[in-house]
Formats: sequence, C-alpha cells, structure tokens
Amino acid sequence: MQLQYTPRQQAFRAEVREWLASNLPEKPLLTLEGEEGFHQHVEWERKLAQGNWGMVTWPTSYGGRGLDLIEWLIFEEEYWGAGAPLRVNQNGIFLLGPTIMEYGTEEQKARFLTPMAAGEKIWAQAWSEPGAGSDMAAIKTTAYRDGDHYVINGQKTWSSRASFADWGFGLFRTEEGSQRHKGLSFILFDLNAPGVTRRPIRQLHGNPGFAELFFDEVRVPVENRLAGEGEGWKVAMATAGFERGLMLRSPGRFQAAAKRLVELFRKHEHNAAPSAREAVAKAWMESQAYAYNTYAVAAKIMAGGSIGAEASLNKIFWSELDRAMHRTAMHLLGAAAELQQFADGSANDWLEGYIFSLSGPIYAGSNEIQRNITAERLLGMPRVGAG
Amino acid sequence: MDFLIAPERLELAEAVRDYLSGTHGPEVLRKLDADGNRDTAIWQGLVEMGLPGLLVPEDQGGLGMGLLDAVLIARECGRFCLAEPLVESAYVSVPWMIARGDTGRLAEVATGDFRPIAAHSINGWHSDGEDGSLHSVDPLRNLAQLPDDASDDPHLLDLGALMASAQLVGLAEAMLDQAVEYSKLREQFGQPVGGFQAIKHKLADVAVALEFARPVLWRAAQALEDGEGSAALHVSHAKLAASDAAYLAGESAIQVHGAMGYTYEVDLHFWMKRAWALSGAWGGRGFHARRVDDAIIGGDHPIGPQNTFA
Ligand SMILES: Cc1cc2nc3c(=O)[nH]c(=O)nc-3n(C[C@H](O)[C@H](O)[C@H](O)COP(=O)(O)OP(=O)(O)OC[C@H]3O[C@@H](n4cnc5c(N)ncnc54)[C@H](O)[C@@H]3O)c2cc1C
Repeated sequence: MQLQYTPRQQAFRAEVREWLASNLPEKPLLTLEGEEGFHQHVEWERKLAQGNWGMVTWPTSYGGRGLDLIEWLIFEEEYWGAGAPLRVNQNGIFLLGPTIMEYGTEEQKARFLTPMAAGEKIWAQAWSEPGAGSDMAAIKTTAYRDGDHYVINGQKTWSSRASFADWGFGLFRTEEGSQRHKGLSFILFDLNAPGVTRRPIRQLHGNPGFAELFFDEVRVPVENRLAGEGEGWKVAMATAGFERGLMLRSPGRFQAAAKRLVELFRKHEHNAAPSAREAVAKAWMESQAYAYNTYAVAAKIMAGGSIGAEASLNKIFWSELDRAMHRTAMHLLGAAAELQQFADGSANDWLEGYIFSLSGPIYAGSNEIQRNITAERLLGMPRVGAG
Repeated sequence: MDFLIAPERLELAEAVRDYLSGTHGPEVLRKLDADGNRDTAIWQGLVEMGLPGLLVPEDQGGLGMGLLDAVLIARECGRFCLAEPLVESAYVSVPWMIARGDTGRLAEVATGDFRPIAAHSINGWHSDGEDGSLHSVDPLRNLAQLPDDASDDPHLLDLGALMASAQLVGLAEAMLDQAVEYSKLREQFGQPVGGFQAIKHKLADVAVALEFARPVLWRAAQALEDGEGSAALHVSHAKLAASDAAYLAGESAIQVHGAMGYTYEVDLHFWMKRAWALSGAWGGRGFHARRVDDAIIGGDHPIGPQNTFA
C-alpha cells in the first residue's frame, strides 16, 4: 500500500487542473434536464473532447487517453473539485461504451465509440417499460426480423436524457413467445428514426429529465445488435454492472458535496440542530470511505481482479449517502430551503440536489433489489420467499 | 498511489485465520467462560505462530512487520473473539515502545515471556490483569485498575484505537457470518428465515457498513505507519466506522436469531460483548467524533475530492 501519488500522477493532476481552470464555462450551466441546459451540456461535452478529456480511460484509437483507473480517479477528483458540469453523456461513456468494448465487433467499436467520446452523439438507456421496472425480465417490446432489419414495436419508459438525446440502447424481445430473460437482444437505435415517438415526462423538479418512447414499426439494421441474438440479458447485466460499479458515480462528486456541506454548516451553525453537526461530519466520513473503497476496487481491477455483486454495495452506499447529505443541507437552510433561487440570484443547488438524490435509491436497480442481490449472491442467503 | 493490500500480507492473515479456526472455536470460548478464562496453551500456540513478535524487529527475534500487518491479524483476533490479550500487548504496546526507544525487553515479547500492558489514561482500566473489583460484560476480559503511571501519550492512544477498530471489524464480520448461517437453518412458515426479505435486507445493511469500514481501517493503519500529520483523524474515522458497523452487526445478528439470540446458548453473545467493550475502549464514540469534528468542521484539514489522500 502506497498512499502517495507518484510524480507522474501529480503532473497529470496539475495538467487536468490547469486545463479545467482555463476551459470551464464562465457561468454555471442550466440544468441538463431542460432543453436549453441539455444543449449547453452537449457543448461542454464537445469542449471536453477537444481537450481530449472526453473519456480518459479509453484507448487513444477511440478518442481516449489510454489512462489507468487511478489516473481516471485523479481526473474525476479534479473535475468535481473544480465544480465542472454534470456529464450529459454518462449513459454513453460510462455504460454503453464499456459494454461495446466488451461485446462489440470491431466495426461497431469504430462506428460508435469515437463519436461517443467526441460528444457528437448523446445516448439514452431504454430498458424499463411501464410493466417492467425492477422486474426487467418482464419486458414486452418486440423486435421481429425482416431481412437484414429488426422491426421494433412497443414502449419504453423513464429513459433518461431521451427527451433530447440522439441514440438509444435497449433490450428487445427478438424471439416470439419467449419468456423472461430468454430471447432478448441488445439493440442500438436512432431516436430520430421514423416510427419513434418521444413523450418527455416531467420529473419532480418540473423538467423533462426522462421520456417515454413509443415504437411503431421502427426499422433498425441487424448490425445495430450488440452480441448475439438472444444474448441481450447477459449483455445488459454487464452494462448494469458498470452502472452500479466503478464508473457511474466516482467519489469526487460526493466529496465535493460534502465539502460544500461543511461550508454551509459553518454559515448556518448558529441555528443548526445539534444533530446536524454529526450529520455533516458523517457526510465527510462517508464520502471519504466511498473514495477509499473506489481506490481499492480500482487497484484490485488493475491487478487483474474484477468486481461482481460488490457493485450492489456501492450503489446502496453512495445513493443513501447522497440523499442524507442533501437532506442535512435542506435542514440547515431552514426557511430558505424552499427557494429556487437565493436572494443573491444564485441557484439553490441543494434543493435541486436533494430532489435528484431521491432518485438515486431507485434508478440503476432500486436499493431493495440491490439488497436482495447482496443477501443472495454475496452473503449466500436463501432465494425463497418474496423476491 | 496503490491502495491495495499486498497478497503476502493477506496470506499471513489467512494463515492466522486457519490456525485460529482450528484451535479457537466457540467451544473454546465456552470452556474458558466456564473454567476461568485463561489457558496458557492458547498463548503458547500464538507464540509458536510468532504472533507476539509480529512487530518486534527481526534483530530481536521478531518478524519486523508493520502496522497494516498487525491490523490484519488483529481483525482475525476479533473474528475468533480471541481470549488472550495479544492485540493490546503486542500490537499496541510494542510499536509504542519502539517509538519511545524503549526496546530493552522486546526480545522477551517475541518469545512470549513478557507481555507488556498498554495502559492509557483515556481508558478507566486495562484488560490484562485480575483485579476482582471490576467485571466486564465480556466474560473473557480481565479488567484491572490502570497503573498510576498510565500514559497520556496520544500516539499510544492512536495505536490502541486503531487496533480496537481492527478487532471490531473482525467481530462484526463474524457476527454477520453467524447470522447468515443461522438464517439458513432456522425455518418458520415452512422456509428458512433467511429467505424473508426483511431479514435479508438487515444483513445486507451490515455488509454495506463493513464494506465501507474496511478501507477506512486500511487507510488509518497506513497513515499511522507513515506518520502522516492527519493520522489521528484517520484513526478516529476508523474507530467510528468500525464501532458503528459492530453495533449494527450485533443488533442485527440478535434480531435474526430471534429469542435464541437473546440467550447464552448460542455463541453470538461472546462477540457482541467484546464489541461493546472495544467500542468504548481507547476513546469512545464521543471522543472520536469530536476529533473528526474538530479537524473537519472546526479545523483546517483540507477536504474535498482533491484531498482524498495527502
Ligand atoms: C431519475 C430516474 C432515471 C431513470 N433512468 C432510466 C433510464 O435511463 N433507463 C431506464 O431504462 N430506466 C430508467 N429509470 C427507471 C428505473 O430503472 C426504474 O425506476 C427502477 O428499475 C425501478 O422500477 P420501477 O420504477 O418500476 O419501480 P417498481 O419496480 O414498481 O418498484 C416499486 C417499489 O417496490 C420495490 N420492489 C420491487 N420489486 C421488489 C422486490 N423484488 N423486492 C423488494 N422490493 C421490490 C422497489 O424497490 C420500489 O421501492 C430511471 C428512474 C429514475 C427515477
């Protein structure tokens, strides 16, 4: 164990810091859950890509920097430490990207990865259906074969970013009459293809952060299928692993929030509840613990290991930490918690953050499901009874 | 930067685990509890494994290892609820003696003939003696009044708190394992109780608490070993995370065992009681929470994503 960064790592940190300092948007961007903010964020993705910072761990041949996971963590620390914008293309770069690298053909890699790293195409994930949330194997949307095309019919929902994104990836039933996780295929589709209708759904904060998608005889070339026909479940599980595991939520985001929370507490200490002090210290401790754990997992992967069901522990931990931290901030703000904008005109990021944090325990597989996975696969408890 | 525990270190801990699982099972705890709680054969076995000399320099007959190794072994001692006070004497006192240059008797520590007592004024008593006036809830602890010259050295306190944290992690892991095992065997409503989600989720939460206490412990050990300026903060963090995990594990494990868990008949209580004792020893929750608080909220310890490590 070696807790000091190497001179090379420090130089890299300095390079990231410098680039961010001279390239960050001057004003905070509008929320990416609204149309205007979405496009501002796309601009930011492209700027990142111009600096070659789109996806630092990817091979250089796809627009990455070929960096290792520790360097990725350093990048993320600088990114969140600088207060840089959320990543509008996270579904693409953190979820689909690694999945394509694992399951895609050379042709698919060339076709999809480079534009993804360049921020040219923004991706949405289309798994859930109205009748298939936690029970994802219950999906019904079909894709039947017609020559060298699939023809998709049905409906997806709660697809983040799909209100404005360019492309989607999803699971479709390619074998007629198949049940549960059999007969599904993982297919990439153009959200602007004829027959696709998007209905943006307003979320708790009032913005259309996700959308319902209707498919009416949508034709998709067979070469848009990732891995074999009928292998979709396996591929989707790999993607879900990326989602819960290392990449989706790097610790910097929570450490930055914990730091802001400490600052907020210092400002409001005079009328804070006695318990707030402990909650604030706990936010720091948990965000640090999450960071250490991520470093440990990164080191383990770099040494040839892998993460499995432990990803569920991660997902439970960061989502509940995020919610607790933002709840504490709401309490500290007192009456001002309700304001969308403070008197000085600055946005109430705590309120927006709190609302968003409520979704963390739901998306990427609800925390109840993650607890089931933990109990059954990690602890080896019996798979009987409810769930 | 490499936040990975070297495989050799894990192998050593694994060997200790194998040894203790063969020689220090629950039947030993029950026997010690019934017949008086020391057995020289157990101490002798630890000496033969070289464990008292783990941190004693090689030129004095020890293994010359570091705090991270000791933490890994202390965790195993917690896992098996080891009755002998190996951790406090060999992994708290020894590095403290070395730091003070008090190395005259270290060779005797390695041979097991001298068992130094680590006594810090923050504790009301120490755990390797027979005083008669003090009874711990943990039947395997032998409390004795602190000597008058008990130290108030903060380094000693950090060593003690670190090693208590390591044992707490091991205790919590063992309690989780026991609860999982019991949940598979005990049937109600025609199925193992471990099939019920309310039970699964309780134990999943223990697994989460442990997953995020362990790396904090590793970090604290390495920080103390390296003499990092903020080591005390990391130790306090570890003590809080470990004792919270241990309390959660104990309470959850009792609940999963039902009334059986409330009896002396299952072994669980040994672990739980040790956890209560160690959570308070070497600075309780209040002390460590205040140290974190002073550094993070009241102090100027640099925080935020760019300060994960110094
Ligand atoms: C902000 C946000 C973004 C999202 N983005 C996407 C996206 O981009 N793409 C996409 O495909 N989906 C997305 N989702 C959908 C998300 O994946 C689902 O909401 C999630 O899987 C839960 O499904 P559900 O909402 O149908 O809840 P339900 O499955 O109806 O569950 C309702 C409640 O019952 C609990 N429950 C269900 N089954 C069990 C069980 N077996 N044991 C115990 N409890 C159970 C759940 O935990 C939950 O608390 C998003 C959701 C949110 C909130």
